[in-house]
Amino acid sequence: MKRKLRKLLIANRGEIAVRVIRACREQGIATVAVFSEVDRDALHVQLADEAHPIGPAPALESYLVIDRILAVARAAGADAIHPGYGFLSENASFAEACADAGVTFVGPPAAAIRAMGSKTAARTIARDLGVPMVPGTLDALESDAAARTTAREIGYPVMLKAAHGGGGKGMRLVQREEDLAEALRSARAEAGAAFGNAAVYLERAVIEPRHIEIQVLGDADGRVIHLGERECSIQRRHQKLVEECPSSFVDADLRARMGDAACRVAAAAGYVNAGTVEFLVDAERNFYFLEMNTRLQVEHPVTEMVTGMDLVAEQLRIAAGEPLSRGQDDVTWRGWAIECRVNAEDPFAGWLPSPGTITALRAPSGPWVRDDSGVYEGYTIPRFYDTLMSKLIVWGADRAIACDRMARALAEYRVVGVRTTIPVLERIIAHPDFRAGRLSTAFLERMLPAVHSNDGRHRDVAILAAVIAEYERGRRAALGAPGADGQSAAGHDPRAVAWRLSGAGTWTGR
Amino acid sequence: MDGAIAVKYVATVGNESRVVEIADSNGRYRVTLGESEWAVDVRAAMPGVYSILIDGVSYVADVVDREGACVVEVAGERYEIVVEEQTRHIIRTRGGGGAGAGDRTLTAPLPGKISRVAVRPGDAVSAGDILLVIEAMKMENEFRAAVAGTVAEVRVAPGQAVNAGDVLIVMGGGSDGNRA
Repeated sequence: MKRKLRKLLIANRGEIAVRVIRACREQGIATVAVFSEVDRDALHVQLADEAHPIGPAPALESYLVIDRILAVARAAGADAIHPGYGFLSENASFAEACADAGVTFVGPPAAAIRAMGSKTAARTIARDLGVPMVPGTLDALESDAAARTTAREIGYPVMLKAAHGGGGKGMRLVQREEDLAEALRSARAEAGAAFGNAAVYLERAVIEPRHIEIQVLGDADGRVIHLGERECSIQRRHQKLVEECPSSFVDADLRARMGDAACRVAAAAGYVNAGTVEFLVDAERNFYFLEMNTRLQVEHPVTEMVTGMDLVAEQLRIAAGEPLSRGQDDVTWRGWAIECRVNAEDPFAGWLPSPGTITALRAPSGPWVRDDSGVYEGYTIPRFYDTLMSKLIVWGADRAIACDRMARALAEYRVVGVRTTIPVLERIIAHPDFRAGRLSTAFLERMLPAVHSNDGRHRDVAILAAVIAEYERGRRAALGAPGADGQSAAGHDPRAVAWRLSGAGTWTGR
Repeated sequence: MDGAIAVKYVATVGNESRVVEIADSNGRYRVTLGESEWAVDVRAAMPGVYSILIDGVSYVADVVDREGACVVEVAGERYEIVVEEQTRHIIRTRGGGGAGAGDRTLTAPLPGKISRVAVRPGDAVSAGDILLVIEAMKMENEFRAAVAGTVAEVRVAPGQAVNAGDVLIVMGGGSDGNRA
């Protein structure tokens, strides 16, 4: 059943809303943005054809309110809704509500979301297909006592996970039984706050695994293909920080076997649209089914760069009832892509979120550099949502070139006003183990203790900059000149070379 | 020096203080830092972003004020630098003095909502104990005691919204510095 999409509502915010709007623009599909009270200034509001308010800042009162989003869709005459990732993207009731409202949900059918959205049900499907899995529970934990019993059976360390979650929220590694109760409490609290469902389950923790996932696409006619793997082992707080495609650990044979397992899981769930099957891979290249994410992933661009396929465009094609643009044999992988997540967090202060105003911003560009951003200079990052500002993606003919290019691009990236992950990303990319492809989910924890905010190499330059800034401030104050803060002296355009610290003739009275 | 007035500053990084002399000379700066003297050309490229040429070598430094200190980022390194005129520095440091009150209080480093308070007044805590949890940006952020001490005051309760800088917990006597 084909249906042309004419107007699409994006039930999301930030960089992913911008990403979807861009794909729609390129296909001539009109876009409708929604925004909470604190998001009036957000970039997606500016880029969409229409934008409508949906309520107060907390997501539970805006981006998660199905009725309000559907009311906007109806009023605006949208015939499709893209959920992005997070928020309602893996909410089966939302997919159903869209169908009931006669609006195309750009994502899998509600039944597939249910089957896979419950990780415990997904594990049952994988087990029945004979896809290998990490030992653990197939059901959500009913009580602390049950958790204790199960954890003893499968043996410590164990991993607690949100049954209805993703993105590392509600995940806790538990080394000893005495830590289990507190871990359960905080995992449930985080899962409840993030997903509206506090259920958690547990499985044996695989120590220092690689986290490798397979991108799949399924169309309405039941064809399912895979687009190869993404290496996502560089994580902190179980949240990915650096991703790449392909993985230096995966050869053609392993790719084919993991791809086949992923396609079988997706097909068994009646999966349609873009999805990702996550695996843990141990040092002996054994892979274990972890979960399936029934949505577009944050890190989808690395697959796009290497396969040359626009995944959001594919999603829109599939939602319109069209067949996949390529068969499995037509999928090829060329070169290497790396993505770094630029988050508003202070990596030198426990990754503390750093909301606030971006007073200066210059994103890198140049050959094979892509910056998927949801922010702009002057924008204030609100404290209500996640910390992702932008994804920096580069492509290179091989991994070494891609690493060099990423290092170059990160060095160009300037963000002032909020703290970002960029300094640590630079150190990761420069690290000998990263360069050699020796990755595991323990990489960052091992590396971080040796990471300091500086190693003193540029101390004198920094002192000089600080002293000159102070000297100018003092002189301006003495002269009574405007813009003593160094920001407003040049008048209206802060982007122009706003004021000169030096230069003959700039200053009066000497 | 073309008649420009040289000003002496003290720049403190960590517990190291250095005297820096600076003079403006025909739109350039002459900076003396320890044994070295440089001719420096500085432009503000963007608000808080400085392009610096030191003997022809190009650097870009981000400079922002934060709680009385200058935070400078250059080439992926970050420095917190307190810059004072030398006379002021001498006056301030001559009086000596102990640790500031700030060392005994846990203040909210960011706005958010208190999701849990793990201690009560009178509780003895050890280094690494959880004091409280702030939910912000979809994360539960745990704050732990840096060193052992006794809780004197708890000024917040679960569910309460807090702003950056709000005092959350005050530590009582005993050991030094309970900054979490």
